[in-house]
Amino acid sequence: MVDEKELRDVVKKTISRDDVKYVVGYEKGTYGFQATPCFAYKPEDAEKFIFSPLCVHNLTVFPMLEEKPPLRKGEEPDTRKIGVVVKGCDSRAIVQILQEKGLERDKVVIIGIPCSGVIDPKKIEAKFPGHIKKVEVNDEDDKFAVTVDGKTQKIPKDELMPEKCKTCEYPNPVLYDILIGKEIKSKKKEDYKKVNAFEKKSMKEKWDYWEKQFEKCIRCYACRNACPLCYCKECMVDQLNPQWVRRSVNLSENTAWNLLRAFHLAGRCIGCEQCERACPMGIPLMKLNKKIEKEIKEMFEYEAGISAEEKPLLAMFKPDDPEEFIL
Amino acid sequence: MDKMILLKDDLSKFITELLKKNKVFAPIQSDDTILFDQITRPSEMNLDFCKSEIPPKNLLFHQTETLFKFTPGTKAKIESVDVDEKKVIFGIRPCDAKSIAILDHAFKGDYEDPYFLSRRDNTALVGLSCNKPEINCFCTSFDDSPASSKYVDILLTDIGDKYYVEMNNEKGKQLTEGMSNLFKHAKESDAKKKKEVEKKAVDMISRHQKTNGIVEKLDKIFENPFWKEVAFKCVGCGTCTYLCPTCHCFDIQDESTLTKGARVRVWDTCMNPEYTLQASGYNPRPARTNRVKNRIYHKYNYYPKNFDVIACVGCGRCIDLCPVNIDIIDVVTRAGEVKA
Amino acid sequence: MKEKFEPNIIGFLCNWCSYAGADLAGTSRIQYPPNLKAIRVMCSGRVNPIFVINALQQGADGVLIGGCHPGDCHYERGNYLARRRMAVLKKLLEHTGIDPNRVRMTWVSAAEGNKFAEVVKEVTEDIRKLGPMQHFKRENKW
Repeated sequence: MVDEKELRDVVKKTISRDDVKYVVGYEKGTYGFQATPCFAYKPEDAEKFIFSPLCVHNLTVFPMLEEKPPLRKGEEPDTRKIGVVVKGCDSRAIVQILQEKGLERDKVVIIGIPCSGVIDPKKIEAKFPGHIKKVEVNDEDDKFAVTVDGKTQKIPKDELMPEKCKTCEYPNPVLYDILIGKEIKSKKKEDYKKVNAFEKKSMKEKWDYWEKQFEKCIRCYACRNACPLCYCKECMVDQLNPQWVRRSVNLSENTAWNLLRAFHLAGRCIGCEQCERACPMGIPLMKLNKKIEKEIKEMFEYEAGISAEEKPLLAMFKPDDPEEFIL
Repeated sequence: MDKMILLKDDLSKFITELLKKNKVFAPIQSDDTILFDQITRPSEMNLDFCKSEIPPKNLLFHQTETLFKFTPGTKAKIESVDVDEKKVIFGIRPCDAKSIAILDHAFKGDYEDPYFLSRRDNTALVGLSCNKPEINCFCTSFDDSPASSKYVDILLTDIGDKYYVEMNNEKGKQLTEGMSNLFKHAKESDAKKKKEVEKKAVDMISRHQKTNGIVEKLDKIFENPFWKEVAFKCVGCGTCTYLCPTCHCFDIQDESTLTKGARVRVWDTCMNPEYTLQASGYNPRPARTNRVKNRIYHKYNYYPKNFDVIACVGCGRCIDLCPVNIDIIDVVTRAGEVKA
Repeated sequence: MKEKFEPNIIGFLCNWCSYAGADLAGTSRIQYPPNLKAIRVMCSGRVNPIFVINALQQGADGVLIGGCHPGDCHYERGNYLARRRMAVLKKLLEHTGIDPNRVRMTWVSAAEGNKFAEVVKEVTEDIRKLGPMQHFKRENKW
């Protein structure tokens, strides 16, 4: 359990620095089980910061969303740092971005929080439907203590956690400037059970499954915008000349989009599940991401978001990379 | 306005009758989602829902719509496309029905949109009162009710073992022509029961938006830093606009092969920076703040000024699905409290 | 009589090796199936997976990517990078139920006209067995 007072103090201290523009963290949401990103510009703003198992968002998307509007004459660009509150998984996104040189290390202050698992908002809302008043959720070892209307219920974590937390190997931030609380030990292991089970299906079963999923897609690109690693200046689907993927929404274009999105995250996806959470149509995008993650682990012994010094997976090679498929 | 009664056991007969002359679209469950789609048998539909994932606006304002076809080259030919036959949307909720009435203003405005309008003329709306509003429903904030019959042709309200049927207009009456054996005149007690059901549903709606004087208020706070605070957490995903029943922006593109092509209209969202990007490279809405503000202003300021109606029906989809909890109830209520 | 299925294969051939190999096959009058439509690229490393997906969308039943032998790349590492990319792409296609054999890769040097013809024969036969690509072809129905 994270000491929120310590968190607020750290945020206060960080934002008081002259070289920090703002700090991104979490605050209570507007209803029920919601938490929401919030920004501290002044030390007082730190008072609303929280950290609870409801903080599912990956805030590392925000430094990448920084807009640089054209400067007026005589105006200097604001080059101050951005503070970000990160969990274990989120920190890997930062590492990955640093590795790709999407961000400079001295442009972020990373406030790390060891995390033993968050709550999937959809799962908890299904358990307590229609609950609008704000609630208290705490982390108690292998259970979540959920206080609704003054009554506290202890619910086993497995019932409420999203998939990513059940097999999380990095509960502690891999990179941080300030760590809040103590590092935690975890014996969880990613075993790719679901991927392996899906692989056993026949080609036809697989395509029947994905055909149905891709047909649902409305191509709002929420998956892309919620993803901290989708930060291209111009996404290939927005390109008009050449226009690789048409704007029409049909199975062909939807499949192309979903395959290319997954491919573009090969060796980059750190499994924060933001894409799947943002998808309004409930397409299981992580099933594609996890498959690629597993394969690159096996083929290239590579894992995204672990070391900022390593070269990006698809920008390097080993002479003895697998090539049994080559004629 | 005729008040009738339809026994629940007769519902499938009613649908079967409708199917004889019309294409019928009704809520269908697949996996965890409810979507409006064409049905061929009454058993396919599922009426146990609050709202569909995608609002039924997509049946009138298609996400992908062919405007016309062409053949390129020196002897170019242009071919128009047929717009569908008679259609019935069955089970549309009063809030979604209101959204279609709101869309009418946009598509009827200075430039008539033949695609939407001819579909609209050919479509009858058979509404179904909402009896279990969800957490983020707030239709009552706009003086509407989950059992309002204002915007549908026929409204069905579940009052136990039967439906209370309100025939709202000629279109509704024409639709049920020759089905008089299914409908009986309603009694006073049935009308009372409907009122009870309606009240129960209204009481279930616990969130409210304060919209008093919001139109004028927004005029005064356009440059207020409040918007930056609201918009900074937006990731620009556009889910709110794609799934909003009253959003109606689109993009037009040509698609072609070597021998044929078509001009296609697709949904677009003002949450994308590309939406306002001009060919020169200039973008009048360069930042998230501008874009989020535009969404709120379009619904609560520009639209009421132009057409005298707030372009929000209180369905709550944008709140349900926002990945960062930008809550339009909260935003508008707080905007009303901001010091100008 | 049912018409025999003739696969439509797009070949992205690298300028320095595979394309020259294809040329050699031609000038040496070695027979190979006409199903392959060659597109010359400067390097196999130029082949963006988007090209492959787009080819499959636009009616190709298979895609063949030809590059220099490892170590022979004109740009030193282009073919190595392409190899990694295609390895991942093939796994992804397999996971979504699209036969990964529709996307093939080969090393053909400028001197291997024979090998080029053999590869095209093999790929054509393989894809003929797989049948037409129908998963996500653009329908162009407006």
